[in-house]
Amino acid sequence: MVLSLMRKLTIFFLAAILTQKLSAPTQRTAVTFEEVSPATSKISWTHDNAHSPDRQLPETVGAGCAFFDYDNDGWMDIYFVNSGPSDFFVPPKPLKNALYRNNRNGTFTDVTDKAGVAGGKFGMGVAAADYDGDGNVDLYVTNYGTNILYRNNGDGTFTDVTEKAGVAAPGWSTCATWFDYDNDGKLDLFVSSFVFYDKSQNPLCTDETLKRRYYCVPRLFKPQPSRLFRNRGDGTFQDVSRESGIAEHPGKSFGAVATDVNNDGLMDLFVANDTMPNFLFLNKGAGKFEEIGLSAGVAYGETGRPRSGMGVDAADFDGDGWQDLFVANIDHEFFSLYRNEKELIFTDQPGEIAPSTQLLSGWGLKFFDYDNDGDPDLFLVNGHPDDMIESRIPRVKYREPLLMFENTGRTLKDVSANSGTVFSKMFSGRGMAIGDFDNDGDLDVLTSNNGEPPLLLRNQGGNRNNWIGLHLVATKSNSAAVGAVITWQSGTVKRTRLKTGGGSYLSSHDPREILGVGAATTIDSVEIRWPSGKVDKLTKLPLNKYVRVVEGAGAITN
Amino acid sequence: MLNSRKSVRQAQVAICFLCILCLFEATLVAQDRDLVQRFEQVATLIRDNRFAEAEKELTPVLRVSPDLPVALNLLGTIRAKQGRLNEAEVLFLRAVRNDKSFAGARMNLVYLYLLKRTPGKSILQLKEVLALKPENTEAAEKLAELLLSQGRFDECIAFIEKQKLARSVPVSLLVVLGDAYLAKKTLPQAEENYLLALEGRLENAGALLGLAQISRLKNETREASIYLNRVASLAADSKSPEFLHKFALEALRVGMSEEAKSVLERALELRPKEPSYLLALGIAWLRKGDLFEAEKLFRQLIEIQPGNAQGQLHLGYVLLNQKKYSEARMWLEKSARPGVAIPEVFYYLGLVAQEQNDDARAIVLFEKAVQKLPSYAHARIALGSSYMKLKNYTRARQELEMAVKLDPDEPTAHYNLALLYARLKDPARAQEQMRIIEKLKAKGASTGGVVVLPPGSSPR
Repeated sequence: MVLSLMRKLTIFFLAAILTQKLSAPTQRTAVTFEEVSPATSKISWTHDNAHSPDRQLPETVGAGCAFFDYDNDGWMDIYFVNSGPSDFFVPPKPLKNALYRNNRNGTFTDVTDKAGVAGGKFGMGVAAADYDGDGNVDLYVTNYGTNILYRNNGDGTFTDVTEKAGVAAPGWSTCATWFDYDNDGKLDLFVSSFVFYDKSQNPLCTDETLKRRYYCVPRLFKPQPSRLFRNRGDGTFQDVSRESGIAEHPGKSFGAVATDVNNDGLMDLFVANDTMPNFLFLNKGAGKFEEIGLSAGVAYGETGRPRSGMGVDAADFDGDGWQDLFVANIDHEFFSLYRNEKELIFTDQPGEIAPSTQLLSGWGLKFFDYDNDGDPDLFLVNGHPDDMIESRIPRVKYREPLLMFENTGRTLKDVSANSGTVFSKMFSGRGMAIGDFDNDGDLDVLTSNNGEPPLLLRNQGGNRNNWIGLHLVATKSNSAAVGAVITWQSGTVKRTRLKTGGGSYLSSHDPREILGVGAATTIDSVEIRWPSGKVDKLTKLPLNKYVRVVEGAGAITN
Repeated sequence: MLNSRKSVRQAQVAICFLCILCLFEATLVAQDRDLVQRFEQVATLIRDNRFAEAEKELTPVLRVSPDLPVALNLLGTIRAKQGRLNEAEVLFLRAVRNDKSFAGARMNLVYLYLLKRTPGKSILQLKEVLALKPENTEAAEKLAELLLSQGRFDECIAFIEKQKLARSVPVSLLVVLGDAYLAKKTLPQAEENYLLALEGRLENAGALLGLAQISRLKNETREASIYLNRVASLAADSKSPEFLHKFALEALRVGMSEEAKSVLERALELRPKEPSYLLALGIAWLRKGDLFEAEKLFRQLIEIQPGNAQGQLHLGYVLLNQKKYSEARMWLEKSARPGVAIPEVFYYLGLVAQEQNDDARAIVLFEKAVQKLPSYAHARIALGSSYMKLKNYTRARQELEMAVKLDPDEPTAHYNLALLYARLKDPARAQEQMRIIEKLKAKGASTGGVVVLPPGSSPR
């Protein structure tokens, strides 16, 4: 009798353990984002958008921000981009970009002047990466005007090497994306171009009833081809825009993400255009790209009308092994969630995102695992580009709310209402970067707001689930490991993530990868397939820690 | 339906008035001055809704003269106002049986039958009244109106034309005659009578509305708008919600959504919660592109009339456009009555299935829409799109090419064809389709959305 009961209990407990292994149940308490006030963070910098009665278009689209570790201390520092002098704007007081060093205690110190990264141009975006492979993360800052490449000297200072590197890219650049298009182990650079614009190109756009000038729609301006720079590996770049096929397609690009849409190991580019069809540049190898946006079904809205693409990202959100794409558009156009149907075909199925964003205009956005349950969730930063929109369309606001969508398997569910009080506030949101600034194992969010102070959001509770953080150190592959495929297994739950390049809007992210395992208490294996083709399989890894993984050498616990 | 409801409401008012009218008839019948005074007193009491006292006054009279027509008519009026319609009918019928020339009692029967929703019987009584008193304008107008509302256009036309030959007819009859000709699509005669009603002055809103309709039918949209603008200024003070509604529907047809919206808002102030007005106002908001306001109104409509199929269809449509697919599907399925579902319902439900990644089901639904309406270009586009998703490129091409033939100015058809050609590795033809879209855009073709408006909601 007792034995029989014992057997039953054993079976019961075994079943329970098996069930736990199979489904890796996750903590259900809501993860929230908490505002870190400027008084706490000591970040006092504010974006100045050069707002003027002339409503010059560059005023309303900036600017970006970045999480990156400029001093290699293992803590994410912060960079902000600001406006500055241009042909239409003379700042009444000096404006500068800002570099804030992470003090490792929740506060930051402004080290801009010492570092020498103040910019001094009409800034747009930023992309951080170690382009020269010296172990120090460099900065590429895009501008309305010419861009700046800041080489990190490794001693807390930077040197402007733009001219030598040959990446000035005059005109109006928006987002920049570091990735290795030719798999030669060196980081190349894609630079999005927006429209052809100068002071004299600002047509009079007025509302008959208001008799005031408003920002003109980009439809009125001529498109410009974006640029692709090949990294020669000697500190200089070759402009390969023409021979790669990129220059054949003038656009009005705001956002770009490097990803691999057909799993061929070559990084493709998805480029969001405003009032023009989006581009999907398929990497054909041998340095060539083919634009396949139309046939892929990602170029236009459902009536064949181009939309106002702004922020963009890529991830395998449904876990089918294929990269899906996301583009934020302007109000009433609906945002697009393009599910990868394989064979280079996508279907726009935004699900719950559509009704939530019907009246919003989206910029910064990122797929990331905010609750460490292993799947990518989605954070959206919104704001209307026209500061007078409410007088014309009362239901649409200039300042708009942030949105958080949780991945529930094959769909994304709007959980904003349960994700913190900050989601009930309104912002003129633009850039957005993700990073674990407090190194607690969950991803925090940094947003930049047009003409307003930035917003630092601390993830509260994402680390209730277990995780492992990877700092990928390439030896043969490109230094950012863009294109690496990470597979991790915990019990029977196996997840895969492609390390994409860029994404969001004008911004740059913490390069580390946090792999969530839910409530599972062990992680059985992590496999990294590097862009070079090398595969590292790691076992017996510690949970809830960051580890350095060196290509070909395995993991080294920090 | 609308006209008969309008007539019922008028009937409720008219019965009250007719009891007073009867007094004058009573003077002809009653010999006794006291009796006349007593009937006057009863009429006053009825008017003040003091029915018990009125009946008390009548009882001694009816005890002495139980078949006295005037007394029977007054008691019938009391019963009608008490909602005891069958008893009222018996009393009115006794009155006219005892005095066949008693026009007042017959008119009460006219309104009573309207209340009982038997307009055919009202028409018979009106004919009796007019046989007795051919010059009775009220009866003539009522008869013409009723014949028109019952779709008896030929009879209506014959009756008014005969009246025109016999005597000078009021302007209102000319407008009804114009409406009858218009209903029969006999535009020249309709126009002639409306113009006659206007007598050179643009002051009769009904006639102007008729002329606007004629202009629209002749595709003279600008003229229609001019007439409607004039009606709008005349209708500014209108206290008739029916007229405002009629005007709004016409304004919607010529794309004057703003005007339609404002008169419908007034119509709803005059008659709150009237389902047909809520529907029309929702449509006006839809046409202005405000899905949120439209949604509110369709929800109100459904709250008042949960089974209103038009309300359900429109709510489903609005939700579909907001990409709220699950709820859209629920309302659309509710709106589909067995055996009478319109092609649009199948089309919308197909779009929901398509969005929910169920293209096999979407195809079944689109096929049903196309079976019901083979010229339904949007359903064919959607069908082509679903076939394309299922990689049945041959069928996709057939449907999309057919859609382009049916509606060459629809950009969505060209876009899907471009997508198909691109997937078939025929970039030249794909670009050709995209160029057509550019040309259509330059021409100002609508690229507002894939989801076409429900029938009756879109401008012609």
